[in-house]
Amino acid sequence: MAEGLANRLRERRAERDLTQAALAEAVGVSRKTINTVENGVFTPSVTLALKVARALGCAVGDLFSLDD
Amino acid sequence: MGTLADVETAERRARRRARMLPVLGILFIAGQPLYFGPGGAAEPVRAAAWLAWALVLLGALAFMGGGVRGGAVRDLLEDEGTRANRLRGYAAGFWAGAGATVALYAFSLFDQVKGREALHLVLTVAVGAALIRFGSLERRALADG
Repeated sequence: MAEGLANRLRERRAERDLTQAALAEAVGVSRKTINTVENGVFTPSVTLALKVARALGCAVGDLFSLDD
Repeated sequence: MGTLADVETAERRARRRARMLPVLGILFIAGQPLYFGPGGAAEPVRAAAWLAWALVLLGALAFMGGGVRGGAVRDLLEDEGTRANRLRGYAAGFWAGAGATVALYAFSLFDQVKGREALHLVLTVAVGAALIRFGSLERRALADG
């Protein structure tokens, strides 16, 4: 997990019944990039975070938060 | 933006790339006795073969996977996550090359090191390490989530 950063991407994606591949298609990245973001291996750029949030119909703050 | 078919094509190509790159890196490093050992082809021929191989691998490290198909698949294969992994591969190559240089420098205090041999070893270690690191990161990223 990226230090200090929590994400709820997997939960939000599941709520919309999307596969990683379907979300990747909507965002315009590979499935592995979605996978690494979900697993906290890769911290996305602001641009990518905004695209993912838009694809899921939520705010970036709903997907990512700081660990306190 | 790609279609689902493009995403799946990119996934297949990315898996192939992730399998091949570490193997190529290991073969490149492990094959060095072919170039330094006795016998075989004449020394200039071996040196030229190694140089050609090194250039091919550098090209693979920088460009492999893009292919000639439409831009959508190429863009997916070179997306943000891949670029980050490639940069980490380059960093691994840099540090491996720096380490090899330090080791050779220290060795040269006690024995003679030919310039071309030193360059050969530094580039071999740097390219091999970068390929192995990049490929390993890609394999990890491709693991089912």
